[in-house]
Amino acid sequence: MNPYMILDFIRLSLKALSERRVRALLTTVGISIGPLVLVMMSSVVGGYSDYIVEKVTSLGQNAIAIFPNENYKISDEDLQFVRSIPEVAKAEPFYSIQGVLKRGTEEIKVSIFAVDYTLLFEAIGSLKISEGKIPSETEVLYSIVGRKIAFKDSGERCFTLNDVLTIDVPRIEGGKITGKKSLNIILGAILEEYGGALIVDPDSTIFLSPEAGRRLLGMRDWSGIFVLARDPSFVRTIVSTLRSKYEDRLRVIAFSAIAETISSVTSAIDFINFSTSLSAFAVAVAGTAATMITAVMERTREIGVMKAIGYTNSQILFMVLLESIMMSLIGGLVGISLGVFGAHILSSRGLSIRGIELTFVANPKITSNLIVQTMLLTISVGLVGGALPAYRASKIPPVVALRYE
Amino acid sequence: MVVLNSAKTALVELVDVCKEYRVGGVITMALKNVNFKVYEKDLVAIMGPSGSGKTTLLNMLGLLDRATSGKIVFDGQDVSKLSDRELANLRNTKLGFVFQTFNLINRLTVFENIELPLIPKGLPRNIRAEMVKDALIKVGGEMEWLKKRPNQLSGGQQQRVAIARAIVGRPAIILADEPTGNLDRMSAKTVIATLLELNKEGHTVVIVTHDPEVANCTQKIYVIRDGTIVGEYRPNPDESLIRKLSKD
Ligand SMILES: Nc1ncnc2c1ncn2[C@@H]1O[C@H](COP(=O)(O)OP(=O)(O)OP(=O)(O)O)[C@@H](O)[C@H]1O
Ligand SMILES: [Mg+2]
Repeated sequence: MNPYMILDFIRLSLKALSERRVRALLTTVGISIGPLVLVMMSSVVGGYSDYIVEKVTSLGQNAIAIFPNENYKISDEDLQFVRSIPEVAKAEPFYSIQGVLKRGTEEIKVSIFAVDYTLLFEAIGSLKISEGKIPSETEVLYSIVGRKIAFKDSGERCFTLNDVLTIDVPRIEGGKITGKKSLNIILGAILEEYGGALIVDPDSTIFLSPEAGRRLLGMRDWSGIFVLARDPSFVRTIVSTLRSKYEDRLRVIAFSAIAETISSVTSAIDFINFSTSLSAFAVAVAGTAATMITAVMERTREIGVMKAIGYTNSQILFMVLLESIMMSLIGGLVGISLGVFGAHILSSRGLSIRGIELTFVANPKITSNLIVQTMLLTISVGLVGGALPAYRASKIPPVVALRYE
Repeated sequence: MVVLNSAKTALVELVDVCKEYRVGGVITMALKNVNFKVYEKDLVAIMGPSGSGKTTLLNMLGLLDRATSGKIVFDGQDVSKLSDRELANLRNTKLGFVFQTFNLINRLTVFENIELPLIPKGLPRNIRAEMVKDALIKVGGEMEWLKKRPNQLSGGQQQRVAIARAIVGRPAIILADEPTGNLDRMSAKTVIATLLELNKEGHTVVIVTHDPEVANCTQKIYVIRDGTIVGEYRPNPDESLIRKLSKD
């Protein structure tokens, strides 16, 4: 077969499709569902998974957070024990609490996190100051605030350096919340936008020194201990040392383990998504086969005439197969385009993780690999769905051209 | 039986050809030990009652079907030894078919219909366009038909387009099964005149027909009955369609 012939067969196939364009269109729509779902879901899931994994890893591959479980209080002894583990580079206690900040006429919810600043910036590598400087140890009233606290979502500025922030926090007496109290702190520095995170969301957090945590918040009990391992490879050892000593009295969270869990969860979701879209592909194969077999039956005489004129069996097979491949090509292009479009819409709505009260937006992960694989899968729908009808067409005997009924 | 044209070589020769059709255990003997020769530049008619085996005979001559027994020799080759692909190639290069119901494809233009047999030859477009125009001119067609759909033309015009499609690849033989069966007498006359003209230019023409006036336009009439050739007659030119319509 020479190139002229291939082009001519493509032209003949397109003409045949355009003659029954409603049916061809409906079949093409049916074919496009598979690639649409596959591209949309895979890229959204992939995007979020990458985003979360990236954020978690940026929190530090060697960071570990320890929280007390109910009815347990972390003591100085516990802190000393953690620091005594040889693989631990650094361990500092932190306080955390939720508060309400008055900002102009509105009140916004904020997290307050009191932790050693050096440890904070070491653990969250990508955290950067955009205005001001890290308050010194003696500047207990000075705080570092997240971008979304100093600025509205619209970008309008609400606070400048050295402004006084008034925050309502729960009053805690003897470990119990007994009411509310107002707190005035000074804005010492503003962070660059971080873009959401897990466990801590720097953008809507007010960071204080541990001293301020104790004095201003009146918290006697630590909310937890923030630990840095000497090397990411030591994280496992530290976690198991802590778990064997404290069992269920402490919750030990290694950020690298979260990343691993998320990766395995998303690969499971990916697999489920792939299997689900395979059923869409299977339905498309059946639909294509049905459309093509009717098309072939309707054109029995025409194909007989072509045979009589000198078209070979394999040329007829090729011509009919081209029709179904053409539909799957168009279906694939449409489905993938809509999938990319849908993925952007879907992911722009953001993902809310309940419990942590965190919404974040991640771009869909559209890779050339995903597109190529989806396209190949869709083309195979045309090939498989068209195979039997094309074979049937190739076997139509030329004598039907001379039969008159 | 007088053997005419014995000096010419036979283009197609059927030797003791039988053809059976089996449909659900019922066997129909459509051709019974037929011996038949078509010579180069022949202009012959095949006549016979309905169901006598005319179309079956044409299928054999046109390499559209294989014989149940006997031998078909086409251009010196025993075709029973040829593969489907080789038969298709022979049909493409050596044969042209004209059908009672035209069998044009209405979604394609007249141009594309005539061009159809040239596609398996893999010829470049410009050459094909020339061949299509030549063929249309030969059948007395007009260039403005090329862009039209076949169903925008009259029956006679469509049949001439179909003849153009049959001759565009410059085949040795044109096989026509009831080419005037669906046409009025005037259209039938132009179609037959076209076929006669093509014969004068060197094409071998075989016409299956019910119509004695059509058969009388040819050089030789074979009569087939119950799958057997029962006679060979000289046509009577005075009773031919062309002569008669010219007189009217
Ligand atoms: N595909 C087929 N299957 C079974 N029987 C067939 C088939 N084609 C033809 N026949 C039978 O073979 C015999 C010859 O048929 P054929 O079509 O050759 O006749 P014909 O002379 O062309 O008739 P008509 O003038 O009606 O076209 C008939 O009895 C017909 O019923
Ligand atoms: Mg017939």
